Amino acid sequence: MDKDFIARGVKRCSTGRFLLWIAPWAALLAFGLYSAGLCLVKGLNQTNMDNRFPFGLWIFLDLTVIALGAGAFFTGFLLYILKLDELKAVISSAVVIGLVCYSGAIAVLLVDVGQPLRAWFTFWYPNVHSMLTEVTFCLSCYLTVLAIEYLPIVLKNRKLRQVPSFLVFEFELHKLIYVLAGVGTFLSFFHQGSLGGLYGVLRGRPFAFREGLAVWPSTFFLFILSAAAVGPSFIVLTTHLVEKLSRRRLVRQQALELLGRISGLLLAVYVLAKTIDTLVWINRTSPESGFPAAQYYSWKPFGTWILFAEIVLFGLAPALVLLAPRLRARRAWLVSAAGLACFGVALNRFVMTVQTLAVPTLSFDQFVSYFPSWQEIGTFLAVVAYGVLVYSLSFRYLQLFPEERELKMAQAAEESSAELVGRY
Amino acid sequence: MLPWNYGFHWNAGTLIFLGAFYTVLVVVATTVIRAAFHSRRELAAHHEESIRWHSDFHDLPAADRVCRHVLTGEFKHRECPHAFDCRECETHAKLIARHPLAPPAEPEEDILGMSFPLDRFYHRGHTWVHPEADGAVTIGLDDLGRRLLGNPDAVRFPALGAHIQANGTAFQVTKRDVQIDVLAPVDGAVVATGSAAGDWCLRVKPDASGEPAFRHLLRGSEIRPWLQREMERLQLALTAEGAAPTLADGGVPVADIAAGYPKADWDAVCGEMFLRP
Repeated sequence: MDKDFIARGVKRCSTGRFLLWIAPWAALLAFGLYSAGLCLVKGLNQTNMDNRFPFGLWIFLDLTVIALGAGAFFTGFLLYILKLDELKAVISSAVVIGLVCYSGAIAVLLVDVGQPLRAWFTFWYPNVHSMLTEVTFCLSCYLTVLAIEYLPIVLKNRKLRQVPSFLVFEFELHKLIYVLAGVGTFLSFFHQGSLGGLYGVLRGRPFAFREGLAVWPSTFFLFILSAAAVGPSFIVLTTHLVEKLSRRRLVRQQALELLGRISGLLLAVYVLAKTIDTLVWINRTSPESGFPAAQYYSWKPFGTWILFAEIVLFGLAPALVLLAPRLRARRAWLVSAAGLACFGVALNRFVMTVQTLAVPTLSFDQFVSYFPSWQEIGTFLAVVAYGVLVYSLSFRYLQLFPEERELKMAQAAEESSAELVGRY
Repeated sequence: MLPWNYGFHWNAGTLIFLGAFYTVLVVVATTVIRAAFHSRRELAAHHEESIRWHSDFHDLPAADRVCRHVLTGEFKHRECPHAFDCRECETHAKLIARHPLAPPAEPEEDILGMSFPLDRFYHRGHTWVHPEADGAVTIGLDDLGRRLLGNPDAVRFPALGAHIQANGTAFQVTKRDVQIDVLAPVDGAVVATGSAAGDWCLRVKPDASGEPAFRHLLRGSEIRPWLQREMERLQLALTAEGAAPTLADGGVPVADIAAGYPKADWDAVCGEMFLRP
């Protein structure tokens, strides 16, 4: 039915089967939109957040998806600025992932802020001293850049490119894509940093407060580094997942290994920086604030295990695997390490958001536990469903993996040779 | 946000922050406007066919973008940097000057049971060009191209007087509900149309004449190695698109290959062979 929209020479499942695949995600999205609608109409009393716990599941989601979506800017930077041409194989997929992550994050922020009709206030009356202002500006600009980067991918659709103006505009825009990649790198660099800086400047929350360089706390740099490190890992993970679900080879192993190597290298630097930062914080920053660092870990379930997990289990271990050529060459190790790295960044963002707010910092304060309401969970799931839907539609109708056909031919050649050798 | 807004201060922090923000906006807007402006200019100049070819060429697998001098063994590896338009290739000009192609000994080459007359030039999208005495050229499908399309369900030729561009669409053929664009081997104006099943398809008055006008086309001793490679590509395409594995056993391609593989995805096979990925 929709064959004319599917790229020539690539196989996709039948329309019926595709509808069956997207139906549950569409239902989840509908449920999530209902949840978000309740929050917008009735207010944030629908959530379990309060003045003591203003950041919850949604901010955790925002920080995590923005870090995971960093693969878009970082892959663009590696491909268009540093000219690592092997990454052409994944750049379109990375752009879709970036677009999904950033648009999902902004949608949730609109629900979280609660008054989307006044969203423009942040641009018209900006507080130029606030890290959040920089985050808002950079996120909005980068989402625009991602949407423009997504446009040529859409216009390259088999049916759409039959329209001459679409074909020519796609071609001309693609020639200038390196400009957008450069702008995206600039914007991402700053907003990833500002998101980290947001926590680092919380003087009243010594668990998160950090010293740093000039006006930038160390968390500014750690967030940039961790996002750049896990972005490529998330691309490895999603590509592998799509290959498994579609049962097709989409990208050469070498491209994934290159992403893994870059991810491993940056992750190793991040782990080193994080370790130094933690030691400085334990021995100087925290005691100077009047709190021995061990005190923060006396509140269960946030024991020291979480620090170990963040730095060693989900940081050092995947970095070592990704840096070892023989392990990286094996898909299972590569994907497992990439998965651990992504989980690690999610854990880091959870710690910065939830643990920071949960631990008491005043003598009359108490440890506060927080569990999201079903409306919060519904909105969270809506972003996941939205991401799956946009990616699924893009994978079906757009050329996300330009090597797919070539790999299919290579696979056919291998199978054919094997069969003929067996026959004769 | 702007000097007349509440809370705006003329200080370095504000100016740097807003300056960076506006610079980003200007760069992004300029990029999009520039792309739109160039697009408009290209459309006005009717360059869409050339752009389509360049876009398609870069979508071809690397193995299909090889230089013609790789086919003849002069290079081991070389990707064509000119999208198969050797008219602008200095390397090709130098190589031809150094080793001119010998005139064909036979009037026709029989390759794997297919006939390739050597009095004409061949385009890598399976068309040929035959210069006529009156300065016009006739264009037709080569023997492999004819066997791939067999008896077409429909053919759509350009109108008389229409201008075709080398590597743009010459005419369209429908086969098994699949529309296939056959690429034009030369630039020129269509003066007559034939039939896809006949001896020739189009008669064209070329924009340029003489050897340089056909420099990008294959000829003489280049035909055999090119066709052998094409047969390998066809075998691979057929295998990948659902036909049974085929073996080069000395057999001859049948007159209607499509009819021999009813289950194969003919859209993909023809896209591959006629260079429209």
